[in-house]
Amino acid sequence: MFLTDARVEGRRQVARAMWVITLDAPEVAATVKAGQFVNLGLNPGPLLRRPFSVYRAIEDRIEVILQAVGAGTAQLLALREGDLVSCLGPLGRGFEIRSGGRSAVLISGGLGVAPMPVAARDARAAGLQVTWVHGARSAEDLCSESDGDAVIVATDDGSAGFAGTSVAAAPDADLVLACGPNRMLAAVAGRWPDAQVAVETYMGCGTGVCLGCAVPLKRGGYDLACTEGPVYRAGDVDWAALPSHLHYAATA
Amino acid sequence: MSVDMTVRIGGLQLRGPVMAASGTFGYGTEVPLLERRALGAMVSKGIFLKPRHGTAPPRIAETPSGMLNAIGLQGPGAEALIRDYAPQWAGWEFPVLVNINGESVSDYGELAARLDGVPGVAGFEVNISCPNVEQGGMYFGNDPRAAAAVTEAVRRRTRLPVWVKLTPMVADIGVIARAVESAGADAVSAVNTFVGMSMDINAYHPRLSFGTGGLSGPAIRPLAVHLAHQAARAVDIPVIGVGGIMRAEDALEFLIAGCTAVQVGTATFVNPKAIADVHDGIAAYLATKGFASLAELPRYLPRD
Repeated sequence: MFLTDARVEGRRQVARAMWVITLDAPEVAATVKAGQFVNLGLNPGPLLRRPFSVYRAIEDRIEVILQAVGAGTAQLLALREGDLVSCLGPLGRGFEIRSGGRSAVLISGGLGVAPMPVAARDARAAGLQVTWVHGARSAEDLCSESDGDAVIVATDDGSAGFAGTSVAAAPDADLVLACGPNRMLAAVAGRWPDAQVAVETYMGCGTGVCLGCAVPLKRGGYDLACTEGPVYRAGDVDWAALPSHLHYAATA
Repeated sequence: MSVDMTVRIGGLQLRGPVMAASGTFGYGTEVPLLERRALGAMVSKGIFLKPRHGTAPPRIAETPSGMLNAIGLQGPGAEALIRDYAPQWAGWEFPVLVNINGESVSDYGELAARLDGVPGVAGFEVNISCPNVEQGGMYFGNDPRAAAAVTEAVRRRTRLPVWVKLTPMVADIGVIARAVESAGADAVSAVNTFVGMSMDINAYHPRLSFGTGGLSGPAIRPLAVHLAHQAARAVDIPVIGVGGIMRAEDALEFLIAGCTAVQVGTATFVNPKAIADVHDGIAAYLATKGFASLAELPRYLPRD
């Protein structure tokens, strides 16, 4: 884990309200695994950091994807090239992508696309055929970037691709990875209990000390999304007890 | 020039005045990028005798310059603490105090007795101020007789230092501070979180599942400085200031207000190196002002 002041290197729009920002963070870029995240802080800015899955890692740079959902993310979006962001990471346990089997399906909803490019990279490196499935409310909300041997898009309103959810549009595969609103992940759990899913929670420290990011488990009790997650076996999470009213990877 | 940063609190000699506040540092084994050299002491996450699951999510909500939390004292219980954490603490170069909790007066005494003599446990911080449990917690901190009864129950069962963590949710903190001092406390920590509430205007429901939560962070600092000062004026035992310290300047406010030492809490969530930054900043400030030791720092502590 590293704590660095990362320089903003650029920003691009990938959907109606979704941007990718590029940060210079060599240590994180060199060590991050699919599904891991960074906790970004601004000073002056809101008190708490904001967690973001690492979207891509290229040489010395990482990318994160964000949507302006509150004051914190709006401030991150207002950053310009050369500005500094405090970057803590990589954090959490990511997806476990092992060789074995032949196919992987990466299912995302909205901002849940965040961990998928790195997952696609690692799945391909493990010798798997990658199917990329991405869904959003409508065509303008779909992330314009994808990375798979096959690509399937889905929209709730049918304005592009499959009319319905990304979960309904997805084929079966040896390895199922998913990320998106918790309601969507609950549907994944119903169809593939062994799928690996990255959950959304409110998060404080990101490092396991505040105990704020509790994830209710079927076996009873809670554990912490920041250190024991954010990736879980879909069938292990008590979805009915996990609040699902916040956007993925953004808390304010 | 090196400044003498040592402080004495009750029976403990600390190499510096900055400690990790309970509930913000786990059991000391979880904190990443930890610079142990700067730690005067650590207070563990609060525990009960028995394991507890804690409250349902959402457990935290950010507020202007602060955060609400209702964790509900999730923890592994005394036996796991003795087995998994205390042996590690025994090898550390700073004391670890255990923040102890109970639903009844006798619970506190029993927990203290169980932990007394365990290598690695250097003392107790008696939590009579947690706002996020259904039974016990803040109830004991609201009433001078109950506060004294809990303190005495712990005092009887251990010879280790006994600190008592006070709640700010009282009319006169001096009354509670004096009550626990009379009951045998070696020091008081002032203050725990303030009870707060925030509503989700889309869900028509509190943002925390518990309903209310404890407010921490810079938002409470001036309130906490005032209460710590009131406590320091009321008692002769040391007062440990806690509440919204983010930087050395904030800690110095508590020290000048009459505190012997300070605890850093929420700041660690934002900056894992906050304790080291505060410690180093205090030392640099004292050197700049020409003081050879923290003890030389002038205090504002008028006598009534």
